[in-house]
Amino acid sequence: MKSETAVPVKDMPKTDPRMKLIAAKLKKESFKPDALIEILHTAQNAYGYLPKEVLSYITKALHLPPSRVYSTVTFYHFFSLKSKGEHTCLVCTGTACYVKGAQAILNEIERGLGLKAGQVTADNKLGVQVARCIGACGLAPAVVLDDEVQAKVTPEEIVQKINAKIGTL
Amino acid sequence: MNTIPIIIDEKKLEVDPGKTILEVCRENEIEILTMCHLKGVLDIGACRLCLVEIEGINKLLSACTTKVAANMIIRTNTDRIKKYQRITTELFFAERNHVCAVCVANGKCELQDLGYKVGLDHIRYPHLFPQCEVDTSHPWYVMDHNRCIMCTRCVRVCNEVEGAHNWDVMNRGHQVRVISDFNSPWGESVTCTSCGKCLHACPTGAIWPKAIVQGQLQKNPGMINELVEKRKMKL
Repeated sequence: MKSETAVPVKDMPKTDPRMKLIAAKLKKESFKPDALIEILHTAQNAYGYLPKEVLSYITKALHLPPSRVYSTVTFYHFFSLKSKGEHTCLVCTGTACYVKGAQAILNEIERGLGLKAGQVTADNKLGVQVARCIGACGLAPAVVLDDEVQAKVTPEEIVQKINAKIGTL
Repeated sequence: MNTIPIIIDEKKLEVDPGKTILEVCRENEIEILTMCHLKGVLDIGACRLCLVEIEGINKLLSACTTKVAANMIIRTNTDRIKKYQRITTELFFAERNHVCAVCVANGKCELQDLGYKVGLDHIRYPHLFPQCEVDTSHPWYVMDHNRCIMCTRCVRVCNEVEGAHNWDVMNRGHQVRVISDFNSPWGESVTCTSCGKCLHACPTGAIWPKAIVQGQLQKNPGMINELVEKRKMKL
């Protein structure tokens, strides 16, 4: 058995529960380089994005070339190198939602909150993203607010809900 | 070993099974245009220049990744293939900022030679003119993304022959770029051994040594295969 568990992580508190999650996942996958995507998933879910320090920790633990890890992270849309925000608002712009007024929702968000698709507020509280289709065409227009699908929403309604979310934090 | 009969451009040949169409063509002096192929490293069929017609198959298949099979009837110079070669070449030139007149590889460039071979006189597609970086951070070499055609020969040489895996490819579609480590400057790479094999593998002026001016560039892509063969011999 190799002792990769002792990889030092600079600038990272060892008590950070998120790092423990990643370390546990690495151990569970027995430090196999093939498990890179699974481990990146764990890291992405724990942090909401992939900080560079975390990437280099995973790279060293799996003995992978850094460029290979970076290549994998930039290839898949699921992974993000920048923070997506504490709260996320995913507006579906698939065909059905588009016809039912997804653009109006995006316009209202931009007018009310000053955020365009793909942007995050300066205080990192809210990030707005778009998806091509979330597979909920019967609920069009659909918005996913913090992993919760909002069905048949109006632009005003969604901005209100977002304001409630940000306000309660 | 038993040989199998195939026909390439009406020419009857007896060849060893297990070889690719490209290998057979090169052995028999049948010209196939290639860009991403580099003898000694894995073929990936990315450039789509070596497409050939095979009787009974509707699609054009890449000669570098297709193995010969008994009684295959292959054509390498039909009008359809020539049309696609021309399109592919034009797209190479339209994708990044290729200016031969100011390029260090002028006269020693595989992309330029390809342009002459397909008779490129103008480009029918709008140029993308992307903003590309020139990485001069390495003490000896320069990486100019303007001249990169994403053949990934450098990536494969670095990984398969040198074993350093300094290079890889990031992003997708027209945003792809060859990167060093975590998309950091080449000079700060912790994996690069400065061996210079990527420089010889590069078909264009994208990777070149510093302190060199136009006309002085010497690239030796054949060296890669010689290295691979010598390592197999373990002298």
